[in-house]
Amino acid sequence: MKQYYFLLSILTLLSFGAYCQDADSLLNSLSTPEKNQPIQSTFKSTHLVLLNTNETQKKNDLAFWIGHRFGDIGGQFGGAKTLFGLDLAPDVYIGFDYGFTDKLTLGIGRSKFDATYNFLAKYRLIQQKESSTPFSLTLFGQTAIVSREAFNDAEFPNLSNRTSHFLSSIFTSKISQSLSLLISPSVLLREKVTEARDSKSLFSVGFGGRLKLYKRFSLIADYTLVEGLGRPNDLGTQFYNPLGAGIEIETGGHVFSMNFQNSPYIIENNFIPNTQKSWRDGGVRWGFAISRNFALFQKKNKNKDIQTKIY
Amino acid sequence: MISLKRKNSIWLYLFSFGLLFNGQLKAQTSFTSKEIKVNIFSSTPLEDIKAQAINAVSVIIPKSKQIVFQIPIKSLVFSRSLMQEHFNESYMESDKFPTASFKGNILDNIDFSKDGIYNVNVKGILNMHGVSKERIIKGVITITNSKLSINSNFNVACVDHEIKIPSVVFKKIAEVISVTVSGNYQ
Repeated sequence: MKQYYFLLSILTLLSFGAYCQDADSLLNSLSTPEKNQPIQSTFKSTHLVLLNTNETQKKNDLAFWIGHRFGDIGGQFGGAKTLFGLDLAPDVYIGFDYGFTDKLTLGIGRSKFDATYNFLAKYRLIQQKESSTPFSLTLFGQTAIVSREAFNDAEFPNLSNRTSHFLSSIFTSKISQSLSLLISPSVLLREKVTEARDSKSLFSVGFGGRLKLYKRFSLIADYTLVEGLGRPNDLGTQFYNPLGAGIEIETGGHVFSMNFQNSPYIIENNFIPNTQKSWRDGGVRWGFAISRNFALFQKKNKNKDIQTKIY
Repeated sequence: MISLKRKNSIWLYLFSFGLLFNGQLKAQTSFTSKEIKVNIFSSTPLEDIKAQAINAVSVIIPKSKQIVFQIPIKSLVFSRSLMQEHFNESYMESDKFPTASFKGNILDNIDFSKDGIYNVNVKGILNMHGVSKERIIKGVITITNSKLSINSNFNVACVDHEIKIPSVVFKKIAEVISVTVSGNYQ
């Protein structure tokens, strides 16, 4: 008896509830928020100050990237006589990166330093997601070929002495809307070393981060640990770990960064083994980078509802 | 004792039947849709940009003349994924404000049981980018064979919802975005 009455009252309540449902609660029952979405734009650019980030080009996007390093601000080579390094340009980089898919980017570039040509491949292996994956992983490989003439006959006996390969696993995590961090264990494989005792396989670990202060304005910094990772520390030439810090401004399509760093060189194959300047003795310098994106093959999009037309 | 039990079961049947009937009534007292199309269109002399979402949700309650819409910002698809990323990241800030909504009341009188094309004015709150604005939006409600569909086109000024467009891209993104909402209800 009692059970029946209990059941009845529940049924009555239920049916009453159906009457009372208003638009808002009905709407909430209809909308199923999509969970575990991929986390976009860990970084705004393919580069922090010196290091590559996990970001790749979107499919059919072509990025034009220019990097520039000025001379030493202080010390023996800087000061007023070079207008704090602005007269000099130890390295200038011009490169094109193209997104074959949203995950795979291939690129080509040329550095002023050693007239180096480089070919790069970036593959986005793991994408950070809201609940399941706390980090992203992008694999990065870059082959550089020194194209300048040899200073002497012994310098480059064959092509392999001109070539170096940089392989890196770039782990990143967008901790919050404003903070993204990066750690990239890497190895540089090379034939040519300044001294026989120097490592041909040079291990390094990059650390980097972006702190977004405003919607389009961020602080960026990175540090690459090279010295102290098995490289002899009593070489004839004193090398330093590259450290860079700067600001990044994004204006929809362009990303502009202005920064300071002790490495005069731009691509990993050059700055990881060759940084001989230190922040301490005036070896720090200005640098900037500009990237611009172009969308190719726009006409292939057949869906008229989302077509973008550029006049 | 037995008769009492039987009596109770009859009641139970009645109530269950009532519940079923109730369910039917509910279907008539509200119209819902999970496939409302939302198109946005920005036009400047330099560039036309379009995006579309096909799964916005909406509810209409004829009795109270309530009408509500909700759309997940991330469901708007652009032809360029970089553009879509900028839209979410820099303009709509969709991680902070994941949905846009409109909640309003139909000002005009409609007989929802009669077929017809009704031009309506809806007064309500448009919430976008976390900023609410009271708006009166015009639309068309079409009822054929007790099936309901809507269509509305209205403008949204970016400045009304504190959506900032940097001066560099000012010429590519319109200050006023045209929004079209359409779909069929069940």
